[in-house]
Amino acid sequence: MANIKKSARPETAIPTASMSDIAFLLLLFFMVSTVFVREKGIPVRMPKAASIEKIPRNHSATIYVNKNGLISIDDFVVSIPDVKYVMQKKLAEDFNVLTCFRTDKDTSYGIMSDILNQLREAQTLRVYFEAKLLR
Amino acid sequence: MLRRKRKDLGGIPTASMSDVAFLLLVFFLSTTKFDIKKGLGIVLPAASDSTTKKVRLKNENLTKIWIDKDGIVTLKSGGNEQVVPMNDLQKMVNQIVKDNPDMVISLKTDRKSKYQYMVKVLDKLQAAGAEKISLSTN
Repeated sequence: MANIKKSARPETAIPTASMSDIAFLLLLFFMVSTVFVREKGIPVRMPKAASIEKIPRNHSATIYVNKNGLISIDDFVVSIPDVKYVMQKKLAEDFNVLTCFRTDKDTSYGIMSDILNQLREAQTLRVYFEAKLLR
Repeated sequence: MLRRKRKDLGGIPTASMSDVAFLLLVFFLSTTKFDIKKGLGIVLPAASDSTTKKVRLKNENLTKIWIDKDGIVTLKSGGNEQVVPMNDLQKMVNQIVKDNPDMVISLKTDRKSKYQYMVKVLDKLQAAGAEKISLSTN
């Protein structure tokens, strides 16, 4: 009987030497892309819309309005007539400021209309209405 | 002759390096919140005072849209006025803008109406390609 010699098989193993490289790469990505949210605002349920665009973050000032008509800018609760002065100050700090509304979907439009009038008087005319993507 | 002792080469153990990296990775993965804001943009007209000039629009260049407190949309283009269901609004506005690219669309919302109705209509207008939208604030 012929003696058939088994050919020596190469050992199969996944190389793990570069594992830490991959981990560090991902780690760096998340470290760089992490943004610590500076303001807390007030909880709102935003409306949904389909044709939304990205809002440039570096010039935006966010106004939170909840369904009870509570208005918050930079974590300070402000009344409607004060919106003008706050926004004028923001405009003085950054000429390209744009206002971003985080308004609850059930807020009555009257409040929004009053705030928009205040913005017009403050000359901060670029406005975004924040919304969630409608799927 | 003195014989030198062989010293162990001092080295930092790197075997647990990936463990450390993964630990940090998991921390950042779980705490990262992508703060991407998205919304509908519009430019408001400047506040009217004595120095600003009022522009008179021709009637044929103006389409009015009203939203009442229950979210019912009424569209007035030219002479005819009609109640439009939300689903047909985009198609109709698209046709109007196509026929007359100078058309200004004035959006008036009832003070008691909900904000979401206004956003919904504004969304439809922008999706229909309307560029001249006027939000009336009263």
